[in-house]
Amino acid sequence: MLITADMKMADLIHMDFQLLAFIQRIGIPLGFREKTINEVCEQHEVNVDFFLQLANAFHDTDYFPKEKLLQFKADWLVKYLRRTHQNYLEQKIPDIQAKIIQLEEDLKETTQSYELIKNFFKEYIGEFSTHIELEEKTVFPYVLELSNCIELGKKTCEFNEQFEDFNINQYLEEHNDIEEKLFDLKNILIKYLPPPTDNGKYNSLLFDIFKLEQDLKDHSRLEEKVLIPRVKKMEEELENL
Amino acid sequence: MVQILVAEPSYLVRKGLSTILQELKAVTKIEEVQSMEELIDSLKSSTPHILIINTTLSSVPEVDEFIKKYTSDVQVISIFNTPIPDDGNELVLSVFDSKSVLLNKLRNQVKSVQQSVTQQDNSEELSDREKDVLKKVALGKTNKEVANELFISTHTVISHRKNITRKLGIKTISGLTVYAILNQLIKLEDIS
Repeated sequence: MLITADMKMADLIHMDFQLLAFIQRIGIPLGFREKTINEVCEQHEVNVDFFLQLANAFHDTDYFPKEKLLQFKADWLVKYLRRTHQNYLEQKIPDIQAKIIQLEEDLKETTQSYELIKNFFKEYIGEFSTHIELEEKTVFPYVLELSNCIELGKKTCEFNEQFEDFNINQYLEEHNDIEEKLFDLKNILIKYLPPPTDNGKYNSLLFDIFKLEQDLKDHSRLEEKVLIPRVKKMEEELENL
Repeated sequence: MVQILVAEPSYLVRKGLSTILQELKAVTKIEEVQSMEELIDSLKSSTPHILIINTTLSSVPEVDEFIKKYTSDVQVISIFNTPIPDDGNELVLSVFDSKSVLLNKLRNQVKSVQQSVTQQDNSEELSDREKDVLKKVALGKTNKEVANELFISTHTVISHRKNITRKLGIKTISGLTVYAILNQLIKLEDIS
């Protein structure tokens, strides 16, 4: 179903509770009373069209309004992607890690398997953090400064100093796939670890991994299909100033 | 599980085809792509058993070359945007075909692929040679080192590795290491 501005925000969540994470990341807290999407967005200074296009894209994977998304301010996208990163690092990853630690009890007979899984995930966290750090420390500041330059109609001193030799293609070369290890972890848990004494713990861990994997797919899609083309467009604009 | 990739620019036609494929009740995984870029990305990461592709996409020289080079063992079915005579060729569909014609053509294709896929899926166990390769890869050796130590070509190593990944569902080297230790192919102490 197409999500529109006159829908009540509370109804939206009843319709698709998976959108809760999105609403949190776009910077809107709960407590909607009877307000519509339009009203809630105004109250929290979120552009309602930006909200609707993203909400529809996350609600229905077939609905991906690439052209429309490309018109929004790059700053909004960066803000959203940053909040998503924060959510991964502060919630999703630590949740999974805590659940892996809980497996120790189950895998007591085979301490080795426990250590293997724990280390495997630790390695993953390392990769994941490097990936996010590159975006947070280089790519996003670059995008924001680039957007600033375009608004001012000239290259700023900061831009010349920090990003003289940087362009988005460099980042693309290093932008590697961070979902592969999660994929492996799923199969190791489903197929190859000794059967658990407590299925509940395994299931809950697996469920979290499946969800994170899906979330990351949406996240990369936004980066690859929207942010990067948007930045390329801005780079061209800046050249032609 | 038969994997089908539908490459069709029109959303309406794509959805229609997916719906018809779902009616076939064979165990299938259907993926959809709408552009040349998406198609190439998808083929790079996984190989479907059947590729249903609109001729407006497959006639692009770049796509044609890519399909011939990387997916030689894929059954390709073409979709035409124009009416085509019904001459019994099951590898061509038209957007004007009736439901019964489409269902029959597709059912036969899926059926024949399904038989060979089921046979393949049943031989999930790693062969002895694959185990040899896996042991060395799990210890962190490069394809070239593995090739030298087993007296086979790098090309053969790569093809073994592809099969290992397909059979186990594990892509990364550290994932393979975990598997190899869990299954006592190598010992934890072996890893430096």
